[in-house]
Amino acid sequence: MPTQPAAPRPAPAPSARPLRPGRGIARLVLPVLVLSLIGLGALAVIGLWWQSTPRPTTTGALITDAGDVLGLLAGYGFVILVGLMARLPPLEKGIGSDRLARWHAMGGRYVITLVSAHVPLIVWGYAVSAHVQVTSETATLLTTYPDVLMATVAWFLLLGVAAFSARAARRRLAYETWYYAHLYTYLAIALAFSHQFADGPAFQTNATARIAWSALYATVGALIVWYRVITPLLRSARHHFTVDYVRPEAPGIVSVFITGRDLDRLRAEPGQFFRWRFLTRELWWQSHPYSLSAMPSPDQMRITVKASGDHSGSLADLAPGTRIFAEGPYGAFTPLLTGRRVLFIAGGVGITPIRAMFAALPKRMSGGITLLYRASHPRDVVFSRELNAIAADRRAALHYLIGSRDELGYDPLDADNLQYAVPGLHRYEAYVCGPPGMTQTAVAALRAAGIPSRRIHHESFDF
Amino acid sequence: MRRAILTIGSTAAGLAALLSFKTHTSAADVAEPGVSPSASSAAAATPAASMAPSAKPKASSTASPAKMKATASAGSGGSMTTRTITGTAETTLYGPMQVKVTLDGTKITNVAVVQETNDGQESQSIDSFSIPKLTAETLTAQSARIDTVSGATATSTGYIGSLQSALDQATA
Repeated sequence: MPTQPAAPRPAPAPSARPLRPGRGIARLVLPVLVLSLIGLGALAVIGLWWQSTPRPTTTGALITDAGDVLGLLAGYGFVILVGLMARLPPLEKGIGSDRLARWHAMGGRYVITLVSAHVPLIVWGYAVSAHVQVTSETATLLTTYPDVLMATVAWFLLLGVAAFSARAARRRLAYETWYYAHLYTYLAIALAFSHQFADGPAFQTNATARIAWSALYATVGALIVWYRVITPLLRSARHHFTVDYVRPEAPGIVSVFITGRDLDRLRAEPGQFFRWRFLTRELWWQSHPYSLSAMPSPDQMRITVKASGDHSGSLADLAPGTRIFAEGPYGAFTPLLTGRRVLFIAGGVGITPIRAMFAALPKRMSGGITLLYRASHPRDVVFSRELNAIAADRRAALHYLIGSRDELGYDPLDADNLQYAVPGLHRYEAYVCGPPGMTQTAVAALRAAGIPSRRIHHESFDF
Repeated sequence: MRRAILTIGSTAAGLAALLSFKTHTSAADVAEPGVSPSASSAAAATPAASMAPSAKPKASSTASPAKMKATASAGSGGSMTTRTITGTAETTLYGPMQVKVTLDGTKITNVAVVQETNDGQESQSIDSFSIPKLTAETLTAQSARIDTVSGATATSTGYIGSLQSALDQATA
């Protein structure tokens, strides 16, 4: 048993906010809708290029035209990439921060590629048209064309950010180094903005296009400021988040109990997380996503964190009374009340959001809930008393699957073992949260058992 | 990695399709060389004709892109005062050279090539760099009093002669 602090308190009571029934239609439709809108926007950008471009009659013009359309698409792409990260509540709730982050990462690589093709194509096309060497054309472009120098600096900044973000680099870098390097993209976007109007044939003579383009950039900028700066500031001022106390749960795992005002009014849902910024001298400059492990009562909520980095490791030393700046709630990993039986699969500290969801399911679902809790070692298990109490209250099946695969000689989450442990598996709605490898295995096993992927919900840790 | 190759490949294919579509459509907008030796009003009905190839690439350093605004704006103009006048075909050592000029009132907004020199050898590549320069110079000077492009004397002389004849017709 973990040692208790001097004044142990009970875990916060489950949220008063009841789950609403629904089949998650929005969650199926919204991603498709958003991707379609992004695609339509790209088509509109190609249309803008089409109507502003005369028929190319020379090789130089052809190359320049190719560079133009790629540049336009990149200019549009940056707006979309920033927009995906604007923490828009419908996207955070309906698509999920982890999926948005994946889209952002994939799209980011693509847009960098577009820019990196745009630059040489323009130089080459202009050089061919002017019948000069590429080197001298580069000099001409940099020195005589308006704002091209700034845009070139922006390109180098973007390449730098891309290098930082490359997966290999990211593993060798602290999360914060990567994060702060990323902020240079805002500078790059600002530097590159004016050359689009000064040199881009699509905008030079088309005031409507200039206005629409500026409006697009301004809108996304405003959304970023509103949802990433102003809303969290207002929310933190209103709710006055403060560390109540820290409780060790297991070796390397601590719960942070947080007090504040009207915490139930945050409208957090079970399974959601906040981005936390603890205002101590060492931690104020870092913000990290941690899931709620118990739903907010009016004056208390709880997060549970495993020490896996500098930040999560130092949470154990948080002093009671430390102020917290929090952004959220975010996340689409929340339970749906579809009327189906519910299967939770938690691995390691992935129990955190599952614990909140487990406790939030209504009483009338008695008998239809199963929780599989996977851990490599008995000492890694947290919340066992709480989980046992909830399971007894809901008449839920609760299985602890303890031991590493090597020790066990099998994987308790592979298809055969899973179907054995949960009879009638294909009729379940499944929620999986754990380390990436475990999540992959479990999702594959659930698919093999005949559960359609729209009924398998999972959230990945690392974003 | 495979997805990256696939994405880049399909983007390149889409770009190629887009450009080839662009190259092979809207051909009607640009008069084909050697078609209308003296039909001075034939092209006036198509304002899109002013979107000439010469508007596109970078020209000489005298014409910054901002100044090239004038070139493209005629395309959306279409007012009563916009006229397109074809100049005479000037004979050069390398074949005929003929241009047509688009005027918005008295302002030269574009010069498009009707016929260009063609000796089956270098003259086309000479034209492809000299004509954009000549057009840019014309738009800056707002007259046919422009410098010849070195290395392209024949093209320049023919261009200037044809342009002057068109401007003469305009003021007549």
